[in-house]
Amino acid sequence: MATTTATVSISSTDLIAGMPIALNATSTLMQTGLTTGLEIMDMGAGTLTEAGATDALHEALGTVDTANYVYLCNKSTDDDQYIVFGLHDTVIGRLGAGDWMFIPWNMSDADAEINIEAEPSGTIDYEYAIFKSTYTLPAKT
Amino acid sequence: MATINATISINSDIMSYPIAINKTMTMKKLQSCTGLDETTGLRTKKFTSTTAAVIVEHDELTDDKAHKLYVRNASTDKTNYFFVAYNASAAATATTETIGKLYGGDWMLMPYDGNTNITVASNTTETQYLEYMVFADGVVAAAG
Repeated sequence: MATTTATVSISSTDLIAGMPIALNATSTLMQTGLTTGLEIMDMGAGTLTEAGATDALHEALGTVDTANYVYLCNKSTDDDQYIVFGLHDTVIGRLGAGDWMFIPWNMSDADAEINIEAEPSGTIDYEYAIFKSTYTLPAKT
Repeated sequence: MATINATISINSDIMSYPIAINKTMTMKKLQSCTGLDETTGLRTKKFTSTTAAVIVEHDELTDDKAHKLYVRNASTDKTNYFFVAYNASAAATATTETIGKLYGGDWMLMPYDGNTNITVASNTTETQYLEYMVFADGVVAAAG
């Protein structure tokens, strides 16, 4: 059994005067509802080009409503650039230059693909890792 | 301007060579080098039913911005979870748009545009605790 851990530390000494923030959490990522570690993952990097359209980073080709986790990093160093992140037709947020995100992704239905889009212009390099409970490779064409 | 740093470390032996992802970011306003300087506060909520509940009301936040949402299931039971949804009312399996299931001990940190509520629903009537905090790119003052 594989072991995958995800740790976060969030800190600020000046967001709230006199109340330093120090949030720390570690999770061991397990298969859906089990105490068995995840054993499937994809990892990669790419370049997005602003083109007025959204690209699917990953299709929801696993079992619906399962435990999966997504890490995505915007590698741009230009503060004007951001990646629009969404699921299927729903935009959820904007990932700024140098930012990362980490979310659970349950592949709520077969159309719940992860979408990313470069804005407002140019190209943006990105890195990602997706840890999955199940996955079915696409059929050959 | 405040400085908020967030660091992630992911380690795994899924593959035959070790995976080690380490990245630190400083949370900034949309298309700006200025740090986020507002929050709706760190909150903890106890859940004892499966009734969906809004944890982030989007009308507290400026629309179309680069907010960050941190959520952690503070319970330890890996068989129980919260649905987390970007949705106005409910969080269920196929609700548009359920993001994922946050099992005991799991956490998430994601960008959030502030245009729609964030809703959660526990899968159980057993007690579960949720911690959450929005690092805001604009908080809208409540009307009197």
